[in-house]
Amino acid sequence: MLAGAGARGVCVAGVTAAPAVSVLIHPLRTPTTSGSDAYIPVGKLAQFVGTTPVKVDLFSDTVDAWNRAVHVKIGSAWVRQDAEGQLVAMSTVCPHLGCAIDYDADNSKFICPCHDSFFSLDGGVETGPSPRGMDSLEVQTEGDLVAIRYQRFKQGTDAKEPV
Amino acid sequence: MWAWLEERTALPGLWRRFANHPVPGGPRLANVLPAVLVYLFVQQAVLGVLLAAHYSPSATDAWASTAYLNDQIASGWIIRGLHHYGTSAMLLAIVAYLFSLAVSREYRRPREMVWIAAVGLLIVTMALGVTGNILPWDEQGYWAAQVELGIMEQTPGGGALRTVVQGGAEPGNLTLTRLCAAHAFVLPLVAAALLTGIVVLGRRAQAKQAEEGTVRVQAFAAGQLLIDMLAMVLVAGTLVAVTISSHGSELFGPADPTSGFQARPEWYFLFLYKLRTFFEGSLEPIATMVIPGAAVSFLVVVPFVDGMAGKVGRLGVLSVLGLMLAGVVALTGLSLSQDANNESYQKAMAQAYTQAQRARTFALDGVLPQGGPAVFQNDPEYKVRALYDEHCANCHELGGLGGEEAPSLTDYSSREWLAALIRDPNDVRFFGGTKHDGMSAYTAQGNVVDEIEPLPDDQLDAIVEFLWRLQGESDVDATLAAAGQTLWDDEADCQNCHEIEAGAEGSGPNLLGHGSAAWVARIIRDSSQPDLFGEEAQMPKFGTDKIDDERLAELAAFIVRQRAPAATE
Repeated sequence: MLAGAGARGVCVAGVTAAPAVSVLIHPLRTPTTSGSDAYIPVGKLAQFVGTTPVKVDLFSDTVDAWNRAVHVKIGSAWVRQDAEGQLVAMSTVCPHLGCAIDYDADNSKFICPCHDSFFSLDGGVETGPSPRGMDSLEVQTEGDLVAIRYQRFKQGTDAKEPV
Repeated sequence: MWAWLEERTALPGLWRRFANHPVPGGPRLANVLPAVLVYLFVQQAVLGVLLAAHYSPSATDAWASTAYLNDQIASGWIIRGLHHYGTSAMLLAIVAYLFSLAVSREYRRPREMVWIAAVGLLIVTMALGVTGNILPWDEQGYWAAQVELGIMEQTPGGGALRTVVQGGAEPGNLTLTRLCAAHAFVLPLVAAALLTGIVVLGRRAQAKQAEEGTVRVQAFAAGQLLIDMLAMVLVAGTLVAVTISSHGSELFGPADPTSGFQARPEWYFLFLYKLRTFFEGSLEPIATMVIPGAAVSFLVVVPFVDGMAGKVGRLGVLSVLGLMLAGVVALTGLSLSQDANNESYQKAMAQAYTQAQRARTFALDGVLPQGGPAVFQNDPEYKVRALYDEHCANCHELGGLGGEEAPSLTDYSSREWLAALIRDPNDVRFFGGTKHDGMSAYTAQGNVVDEIEPLPDDQLDAIVEFLWRLQGESDVDATLAAAGQTLWDDEADCQNCHEIEAGAEGSGPNLLGHGSAAWVARIIRDSSQPDLFGEEAQMPKFGTDKIDDERLAELAAFIVRQRAPAATE
């Protein structure tokens, strides 16, 4: 008797449960947000002369579930020349727990104010809880235009892996 | 283990009471309706939570989020469809339940409150339907809201009521947040309370009947439970079948306050919609308030009317209920058949469906944050129009807008445009606003000063037809065009200035392919090419730094599309 009722109950519940599972796991199967994988222009070469980092904001078209947005800020980066004069860019997202990394001009080092991680000018961890150095971003120069490819990386891990 | 649970929670005891409940007269099919209502309500609640997990109640996001769930999330349309048809199923089940109570006179003591709770549930479920229908903020929801809030406004003090419900003088964000709160929290809580009343009070009456010992009884779990669940399975199967065969619930285009969508309520309100048409002007509240109010009042007092009227009570109640149902069915049928035979309505609906299809296709790329109607900015036509506005509209007039420094592009290079140009090239519609004045006017009278022979209308038509052929059009009158070619070379002497061999240079622009997309694209790119306007060219060049090849082709095609719009639609 109860088995019969149970079987019918499963049928009736399945009507809702099956599509419910499909709908709820949608974000596992399909990306719901997307920024830009392309290089984003951030300025002219002349803006980034010297080893003192310059903060740039990165703008891109984005899609967020049902919305698309044109030219919105998707992140920022620190840009500077390294000792050899090469342009390097580093994400402002702290690899520890994702706070925004600031630059301490007095001591010439980067600092994450949330949990006191300190990074050297080239992005290496000096002290603090960050498991790895600041995440570098790919830089490209075309003529005198500088462009950066913006990516987010997994937080809290030793290895730098794109999200 | 049962004892352990019993001591702490009393759950096993509750289950036993539930399972051993005495059903008077044993298992009966007529008893399934409250169980079906409970099943439908719980399913609606679960589906509602799933919808709420994907819905954004704001005027800018409501449509886009609904379209995303419906069209981009796998099985999203099933959730929406089941929830939509679930309301209809609940209403049908409530009406059937009311009739089953009426037929067996089970609204009498001690079941008066069961009946009244069922009437209440009918009204609350209709309110759930009304509010839910508005939430997607599509054309249907928006315009239905206009009508329903308008009816609300007709009640005494209705203006203030509308402002409160709508959250302001105009429908907007607050309308949706308020209606969403009513639909997702307030009304379901009331419905749950009424449904609990139906089940608990109904069982209480049954238990009392069993105590009297006049009828045979059987435990609920011994038979009625299985019949109840069988009914649930059948209802569930029907809902799935209807949802899948109709591909879910309709989603029209985003709410557009200017569209004039022909709103119709959900099918269960069509009778009220139709009733209204019999009461024009100041009599309208009779249909929207007096008659529905009287009907609801009658339903509420049914248990007491029966008692007062003595032996005729049952027949009286049943015949009034029957008349009400017949009236609802007749008005619904009338409304459906009139719409089916109403050509302008059918045409408007066909347009609305096409618009909905376009909007939902564009929505796949994401909707701009400006809100629902901004989805049409995803239309390639919109983008090319923006390109036109940016680069061309300052000098060229199109559809009454734009500058007069260069030729009009309204109906550009149509037969009429060509003929008018030949008659008067220096009119402001053509080159009047430019420095170009090298071409004489070819009027019917001719011009002695410039030694222009008179050009009668029939010859003009022939030359235009020849140009039409040069343009590469397909609907050419070959005889007329041939006559035009003779005139071109001879009497009218057009070839003196205009070459028609590819690349050949003349004092005027080469007219091979004039007005075609390729020709227009060349003009936009650089009108000073030697076979076009040469050194006299006045129009700025649009090199690849300004417009790349692909967008240039789109822009040229857009300009060419402006002629003979009837043929392209």
